Amino acid sequence: MTPNLESTSPLVYQLSDGRRIKLTAEVVARLQRHAQHAPDAAEAGGVLLGRYLSDSDDLVVDDITEPLPGDKRGRYFFHRAQKNHQQAIEQAWRASNGTRTYLGEWHTHPEARPTPSCIDTCDWRRKLRQDQYFERLFFFIVGTHEVRGWSGSRNRPKPIALEPLLVS
Amino acid sequence: MATVQKYFDLFHDKIKLGRFDEEDTLRDKRRIVREKLLANLPGVFEKHKEKNLVPTFRDQGSYAMNTGIKPLEGDFDIDQGVYFESSVTDYPDPVVLKERVHEALDGHTKKVEIRRPCVTVFYQDGYHVDLAVYSCASANADKQDYLAMGKVGSEEKYRVWQLSDPTALTDKLFERFDGDDTGRKQYRRVIRFMKRWKDVNFVSSGNGAPRGIGLTVNTHDYFQPNYDATSFKLDDLTALRDLAQAMLDAFTSTWVFAEWKFIRRLKAQLLVTPFNDVYEKMTSKQMETFEAKLQELCDALNAAIKEVDTRKACQLLRNVFGDDFDVPEESETARPTPPPVSTHSQSA
Repeated sequence: MTPNLESTSPLVYQLSDGRRIKLTAEVVARLQRHAQHAPDAAEAGGVLLGRYLSDSDDLVVDDITEPLPGDKRGRYFFHRAQKNHQQAIEQAWRASNGTRTYLGEWHTHPEARPTPSCIDTCDWRRKLRQDQYFERLFFFIVGTHEVRGWSGSRNRPKPIALEPLLVS
Repeated sequence: MATVQKYFDLFHDKIKLGRFDEEDTLRDKRRIVREKLLANLPGVFEKHKEKNLVPTFRDQGSYAMNTGIKPLEGDFDIDQGVYFESSVTDYPDPVVLKERVHEALDGHTKKVEIRRPCVTVFYQDGYHVDLAVYSCASANADKQDYLAMGKVGSEEKYRVWQLSDPTALTDKLFERFDGDDTGRKQYRRVIRFMKRWKDVNFVSSGNGAPRGIGLTVNTHDYFQPNYDATSFKLDDLTALRDLAQAMLDAFTSTWVFAEWKFIRRLKAQLLVTPFNDVYEKMTSKQMETFEAKLQELCDALNAAIKEVDTRKACQLLRNVFGDDFDVPEESETARPTPPPVSTHSQSA
C-alpha cells in the first residue's frame, strides 16, 4: 500500500539493512503543501534536518528547509542555492549541540509516483562525494500521490530506494 | 522499535519502594507499633482478666515480597502480621482479639480503626500500618494459621477465623523463577509498573480499581520474561505488552442472570487457601472499565513499540504510566554529529 498524501500521519521507511527513518507528521504536512497538484505549480525543494537516535540505529527527520531567496524554481526544475539553507543547517546544528544535523535533500515532482531523473541521480552522487555529513544522505521526492525516498553513502554512492512501512 | 529500556530503568528507580533503603520512616513506624503492642498488651489482657499473650511479628504484603511502589498521594502503608499463640477456640469471636490490639494502640496516633481484614493505625503524615491479627499454627489442632476477620458490630457470619497463609502465597508467587534471577528481577519490575499504572488510571476508592495483589497474581499467571539470553539486557516494553495482551485474552464472558446479559470478567485466583478470586467484589461496570483501560494500556505499548522516535515513545508511555515516566529532550535522544555542510543542489 502506498502512503496516503492526504493524511498528515508520519511516514516511516526502512533501509535495506533494517534501519528505519521516520518523517514526523509535521514534516510530512509541510512537504505536502509543496506537492505540485496545480498545473502551473513550480518545483520546490530544501534540506532535511533530523537526528541519528542514540538508543537505536533509527533516524528521525523532524525539520526541513523550504524554498528560500536565491533558489530558482520552474515547473520542471529546482535549483537550490547553498547560502541560506546552509545557514539554517548551522543554526539547527548549533542550537541542538550537534544532535540535529543535515540528513539530505527533498524536492517535488509533478507526477503521482515520483522517480528520480538523470539530473537528480547525478546530483545525488555529487553530493554524496562533496557534502559533509554523518554516515549517509537521504533523498526524498514528493509526488502528487506519494513520497518516495532513496539513500546512499560515501562508500555506496548508488542511491537505493527505501521501503515504505505502514504506520497506523 | 524505539529503545526505551533506559527510561524504564529510570521509571523503576523512581517508583520503587526499597525494602532496605530510604524508607526509614516506614520501618520506624513499624518498630514503634511493635513496641507499643508489646508494652501495652499485658495491661489490656489483665484488665479483661484474660491470659497474657505475647505476639510475634511477620512482614507481609508487597513489603515482604519486595514489590512495593511509592504511593501517588504520599499514603504509604505497611502490612504487618501479628501472631498470637492462642487457638481459634480460645477466642471463638476473632473480633475480640482485634479489639484487644485496638485498645493497646488507641490514642497512640491520629486514629486506630478495626477494619474487616486488619486493624489499621493511621498517622497524621499519611502513613498507615495494617495489622493482620492471626491465631498461630502452633496453637491450633490442625497446625494452620488463621486470620481474624470481621468488625465490631458485624454479623456473626462475617466474624470468622479465615485459613490464611501469606508466607506460602509469597513462596508460591515466586517459585516460578527459581533458577532465573533475571526473570525474577523483571517480574518484580513488571508488577511495580502494573501497580503504578493502576494508581495513575483508576480512582483509588473502593473496589473500582483492581487490587495490587490481583495485578500481582495476574502477572504471576501471564507474565513471560523478556531479556536477551546472552547479554541479559531486559526488554520491559515488550514484556509488558505481552502481559497486557495475555490478560486481555484471559477475560471470559459469563451469563449473569441478575443483569440479564453477558459480562466479561478477568480472574485473579489466590494461589493459596482460601483460593478466592481477588476481583470477586468488582462489579460488572468496574470490570468493564478495567478491560477498557487495559486495552488502552496495550494500545499505548504497541504504539510505543512501533514508534521510531525515542522521545515520542516516551510520551506515549508517560500517558499511561504517569509523570514519573521521563520524557527526554530531543537532544538527549540523538548522537552528536560533526559539523555538516551541504553544497547547492539541482533537481529536475
